[in-house]
Amino acid sequence: MRRSLQSALLLGLSSLVAAVYKDEVGQIDFHHALVGLPQSETTFFHRPKKDEKASLLYTLSDVGVLGAVNPNSGALVWRHQIFPGISHGGGHLRAPEGENWIIAAHGQQVQSWAALSGRNLWQTEFNGQVKDLEVMELTESARKDVLVLYEEDGVTVLRRLHGVLGTVVWEFREVSKDIPLQVSTSLSKVYVISLHGSPSSYSLKVTSLEPATGGRVDHLTVGTKGDVQGPQDVMFVGANSAAPILAWASNDLTKLNVHILGTKSKQDFALPADTVSVEIHAPHLTQSQPHFLVHTRTTTGNKGEVFHTNIKSGQITKAYELPLLPGLGAFSTSSEGANVYFTRVTNDEVLVVSSDSHSVLARDPLKSDARVEAVHAVSEVIKKAGGKEFAIRSATVTKSQDWVLIRNGQIDWTRSEGLSGAVAAAWAEIPEAENLAKVLAEEAHTNPLDAYIHRLTRHINDLQYLPEYLATIPTRIIESVTGGAVVVSKTTGLHRDSFGFNKIIIVATRRGRFYALDTGNHGEIVWSADVFPQAPGSTLDVKGILVNDSEGTVTVRGANGEYAVIKVADGQVVESQSGSDLAAVSATAVVESEGSKWLLPLGQDRKPTGDALKDLTLDQTIVIREDDDSIKGVKFVNQDGEIIKNEIWQLQLLPGQKIASIAKTPAHDPIASIGRVLGDRSVNYKYLNPNVVVIAAIDTAASALSVYLLDTVTGQLLASQVHEGVDGDKDISCTLSENWYSCAFFGQYTLNDGTDRDIKGYQVVVSDLYESPAANDRGPLGDAETFSPLDPVDTPTGVPLPWVVSQTWILSEPLNNLSVTQTRQGISSRQLLAYLPESHAILGITRHGIDPRRPVGRDPSAAEIEAEGLARYTPAIFIDGRNLLSHERDVVGVSGIVTTPAVVESTSLLVAYGIDIFGTQISPSGQFDILDKGFNKVTLLATVLALTWGVVLLAPMVRRKQINRMWEAFL
Amino acid sequence: MDLRILLSLAFATLSAAQLTITVGLPAKPNPFLLPPSTHATLSSLHKRLEAPLTTVNTFNFHNVTADSYLLDVHCATEAFHPLRVDVGEDGEVKAWETYRGNEWANKGEEVPVKSEGGARGISVKGAGSKIFFVERPAFSVFSILKNPMILMGLVTMGIVFGMPYLMDNMDPELRAEFEERQKENPMNAIMGNAQAGQNPLGNFDMAAYLAGSGKKEGVKR
Repeated sequence: MRRSLQSALLLGLSSLVAAVYKDEVGQIDFHHALVGLPQSETTFFHRPKKDEKASLLYTLSDVGVLGAVNPNSGALVWRHQIFPGISHGGGHLRAPEGENWIIAAHGQQVQSWAALSGRNLWQTEFNGQVKDLEVMELTESARKDVLVLYEEDGVTVLRRLHGVLGTVVWEFREVSKDIPLQVSTSLSKVYVISLHGSPSSYSLKVTSLEPATGGRVDHLTVGTKGDVQGPQDVMFVGANSAAPILAWASNDLTKLNVHILGTKSKQDFALPADTVSVEIHAPHLTQSQPHFLVHTRTTTGNKGEVFHTNIKSGQITKAYELPLLPGLGAFSTSSEGANVYFTRVTNDEVLVVSSDSHSVLARDPLKSDARVEAVHAVSEVIKKAGGKEFAIRSATVTKSQDWVLIRNGQIDWTRSEGLSGAVAAAWAEIPEAENLAKVLAEEAHTNPLDAYIHRLTRHINDLQYLPEYLATIPTRIIESVTGGAVVVSKTTGLHRDSFGFNKIIIVATRRGRFYALDTGNHGEIVWSADVFPQAPGSTLDVKGILVNDSEGTVTVRGANGEYAVIKVADGQVVESQSGSDLAAVSATAVVESEGSKWLLPLGQDRKPTGDALKDLTLDQTIVIREDDDSIKGVKFVNQDGEIIKNEIWQLQLLPGQKIASIAKTPAHDPIASIGRVLGDRSVNYKYLNPNVVVIAAIDTAASALSVYLLDTVTGQLLASQVHEGVDGDKDISCTLSENWYSCAFFGQYTLNDGTDRDIKGYQVVVSDLYESPAANDRGPLGDAETFSPLDPVDTPTGVPLPWVVSQTWILSEPLNNLSVTQTRQGISSRQLLAYLPESHAILGITRHGIDPRRPVGRDPSAAEIEAEGLARYTPAIFIDGRNLLSHERDVVGVSGIVTTPAVVESTSLLVAYGIDIFGTQISPSGQFDILDKGFNKVTLLATVLALTWGVVLLAPMVRRKQINRMWEAFL
Repeated sequence: MDLRILLSLAFATLSAAQLTITVGLPAKPNPFLLPPSTHATLSSLHKRLEAPLTTVNTFNFHNVTADSYLLDVHCATEAFHPLRVDVGEDGEVKAWETYRGNEWANKGEEVPVKSEGGARGISVKGAGSKIFFVERPAFSVFSILKNPMILMGLVTMGIVFGMPYLMDNMDPELRAEFEERQKENPMNAIMGNAQAGQNPLGNFDMAAYLAGSGKKEGVKR
């Protein structure tokens, strides 16, 4: 037991080659630690310590990350991914004034977090869905409590939770078919606002409750039937104000209805013509004046109107209005004591007005680089000590999906939060160097004289760069001597390097925005383009992304038939087609024809959409996955202008099975050696078939995972494995490369070796495929140059099937998004890459560490250690911190890992995308073809100099001695 | 109103029946320095419960149902030993140390479970800090000098070069005595008889040899 632990430790140490050196951090890797795009309702400034002025910026973003950001630097203080998996916005976040905690709610959960440390205070869970969350600023005791509104199968449940402990103080239940909307509090009452009636003709119902006991006081219906069409029409419900209001607009956006909670009447106000959207901003503090601002966006611009509520008479009067200005504009509210300030971010300035009068208290004209198109903002307005001056900080979400902090008309920091929520990524070469290749190709095709003249002029033209180049030589030499590692290049901007480390990674986000990051420049954003803007609530589902390096373009196809060709260099959209439900694409296939690769879109019927195959015959078999999870191999035949789907084979899953993971061979998967030399100098030949796919099917009810290895040409089942006791609710991930495949899952089962031992834990299974079980045997195919799986089988042994060697290891953590490194020639050993969702890290295990060919139950023989370096099988793999490619970085929410080879064989480039973006360089077999930083050139030079000096010094001495000896001989 | 009180009472009793497991952290590593992303998980087939780190350095799992769970504490900077936590149908909680890569029945020492009303408390043990980086082997003159081969060479060189000086500076009487001793030393016979002063290589004239002329020839001339 102890020994197995120790050997597991040794195994962890044996794969040290891949570890990261501390001085490489930030040099070879980059990380965008993101929180997601802040939502206007769940973003605010809050003081995490009662008696300190300093505040932090809190947000619950549209990707479900709750984060605290330092407003001075834009650095993350802490963050939690509180939505499990992918969220689509929503959630609630509130902060009680003057308390050191914040409260968040989503799904069924309510969580209270310490505002400064980001640690949990309490969390609780109830049945139903959270509809609203509000802080009760005034309670009968000194503490502040939390009101949570749940919808539980048509039952409206309001609970008051103890602010410090999270226990239920009281619960209000109402069995009605009403849709609970929001909860609001005033000084004396708690209000539940719900929709009453039937869909598309609702009326608003306000139920008022006693704050101390939760007893019903009254309920009334506001407005007429049909006023509100659905929950999204109710724009605003104020809370914690002296006179909280409820506001909704008429269907045609011509009238704004406002009701003061606790009164019986409503008032309506006309909205400007061409109104597109209306937002209401009001303070959330009981001591603040009951003023609110209506922000109206029209087709041409935006304006603000400030209203005052008279608490005594219950009348709302319009106080003043702010002029109509072009652009989207953003308003935000901040309050200090009774004073309420409205901050307006326009296209060219930030200004602050008091809610009392329209006189501008402070005005910061924006510098040219700070002229952002604001979508929404939160602001902090602080009266400076003098009493006249104001300090304004506005954290603004821009139309380009950045989160910027504007202070004094300047941008303090920018967080590219639009980069979060990536759904697809692809590697691309930097296009510039392609020009030379093109010129050379051009020269080769013209007649010799023209080509010569062309070349001569090109060289003369190049001469102008010579002096510049010569001037850089001394500095380059000095730098290369003192700098330690090879300085790749000092050139700024987008450029290729000789090692191939500089590449572009194209990232598509769920918001339909595309980004290009330069791996040579710490993953900085090269460009971003809003290619497929998404409506709120919908996300982009990328079905295929393919880079064409010779043309420098990237082609994208989305699930709704979106299609775009984008230039890699500058993000210019060459060709695009917006999506429609009719043109839905269920999948895409990468098809190679006439030497180029392109994406073949398949519609809902799994037939090619459009006329892609009109005048093209495709002889490849395409593997498709039907809606019922059956796998088919099909050929598309063009018959008199009509595309016919010919099914060649199909794999029907057993009833109850669902596809958990599919792994196919990477597009770039070179094989350096077809065999594997064993300890006794014999060779095991690898089963290398490019047309294979691994399908993992889970039967959740029976907890059985079946892993199939299929030949995609014939549909022949090459190998299959069944793992019992596999949890289908947890992640199952598979990958395939060279002659091996691997799956990771959670397993709990009894070993079937008769020992009756139970196993429980996260596991990884690795299976090697060989041509035959015997060494030096190439199986039934022998040395045949080619073979076709479609040929009739005339060997007595039947279809040549691979020999599978398989081994399972237990891990301390789940693995998902399995992937494999890619190098240029495939000579470097491979590494299995995975995301650790518990540790928030990227793991790299050398293939050697999970080699299934190893002695079990005995120690390896001397020959095995020497020739193959085999280690005895130990059932556990200890995940060492040095195996984490992301080392200390906290990489959140990875949904995919893509790798690509560099020019140098030793190195593979990796990018993990999801909520965060993390990229690094991996050398699975060490950096054997470039000098690393550990190579000390100064020492080398010093040694050479010392030796030269020694030779120079000793030479005359030796010569003198020899001459003396000659003379001695004569004497 | 009465109904509501009854309902809330019923709810309160219900919540008391649901089991809460509180996992405590050891005093070392300092639990106050752990990052806020630290969390614990209870996993079993078709079950996964997660609890974030609280301000009082605990993890609270609510509504734990009967099963045999694997308890892991995931922390970015520190490693912790896993535990096996068995929750019985009657709410009885037992915990043991468990070893990865061993059968589930192979339990280690039992971990004491504290019971407070509906909550059960157990604590985990630290397994040391995580190491993320490897040290780059730096060049140092001392690392070369510390090599035993080099040290042996240096000592030999000291003897070879230092001995003649030592002999020269010796008191004549002492020297005579020393030489007498050396003659007696049986090792001398083997070592080529230094007393005779006839090192076979001592007379070898490398320059002359390379010039192709024999020594004797030179003497004749």
